[in-house]
Amino acid sequence: MNKSFVLRWQSQVKKGTLTFIVLNILDKKGELYGYELIENVKDKTSIIIAEGTLYPLMNRLKKEKLVTSKWVEQESGIPRKYYSLTTTGQNTLLEMKDFWKMLEKSINTISK
Amino acid sequence: MKEITFKNKSSTLIYRDYLNRLKKNLKHSSAKDRKNILMEFNSHIFEGIQRYEHTGVNETENLMEVLNKLGDPQDVLKPMIAEKKLEEATRTFNPIHVFKALVLNITNGVKYIFFAFLYLVLIGFLFVIGAKISNPKEVGLYFKDGGFYLLGKMKPQLMESINAKEVLGNWFIPFFLLLTILLYIIVTFLMRITARRK
Repeated sequence: MNKSFVLRWQSQVKKGTLTFIVLNILDKKGELYGYELIENVKDKTSIIIAEGTLYPLMNRLKKEKLVTSKWVEQESGIPRKYYSLTTTGQNTLLEMKDFWKMLEKSINTISK
Repeated sequence: MKEITFKNKSSTLIYRDYLNRLKKNLKHSSAKDRKNILMEFNSHIFEGIQRYEHTGVNETENLMEVLNKLGDPQDVLKPMIAEKKLEEATRTFNPIHVFKALVLNITNGVKYIFFAFLYLVLIGFLFVIGAKISNPKEVGLYFKDGGFYLLGKMKPQLMESINAKEVLGNWFIPFFLLLTILLYIIVTFLMRITARRK
């Protein structure tokens, strides 16, 4: 087995599916602030990311109008930025899920 | 922005250093973006520290672990900044922004090398205009036998001897000025379209 090839392939797949994972988590949980979102990504998947890279991703999703965000004041004086899916985001996720199912099915068929 | 307070002096120094590195990488962003990103990273650091505080772990080690997992400001922010700069450049048509965006994006794909090349051609046109101003008698667009022969400098005697002809005359400067402007608009539009599609 070519171990380094597998590792590189895994990191490509993880990188490529991060958006899909983030959108799914937001869909399930409703509203999360950045740190919570990262914790969820790590909990539910075995993805290890430089945590900071999530913020450029969120920025991009916001620009594409898939998520919205709002600052919520905290007792500590350090506010949290909460993210949630927009209607566009929800509909986009449905499309993505359809595609994912299709892909899963075809991969199951060919890799049997 | 409210800063996080630490008991330990070295924690405060490490924290400030991280914030300064963030600020340094954000200096080309708008004031609003800068504030937003700083606040979000600050919030992340605060939340991260809170998670482990009760375990009795050393404050400085805790902070360093959080910052380490967050990643180096330059690595983390670069894609975001490069993208923002590109968007800004193509929106404003400001040549300085365009230049900065190209430099930031040159590693992001072959298409930016292509764009950089087109801008180089553009600078070439401007140079030709400058040359025409400083040497109006010899600089020109020369045709020979009905086709393109040379864009540059040629002695009048040589021109006659090889039977070439300067075709633009007094229109040389307006022609290249127009060409420069046109190319600039086209390239910037192309960049805008490809940037949106990403």
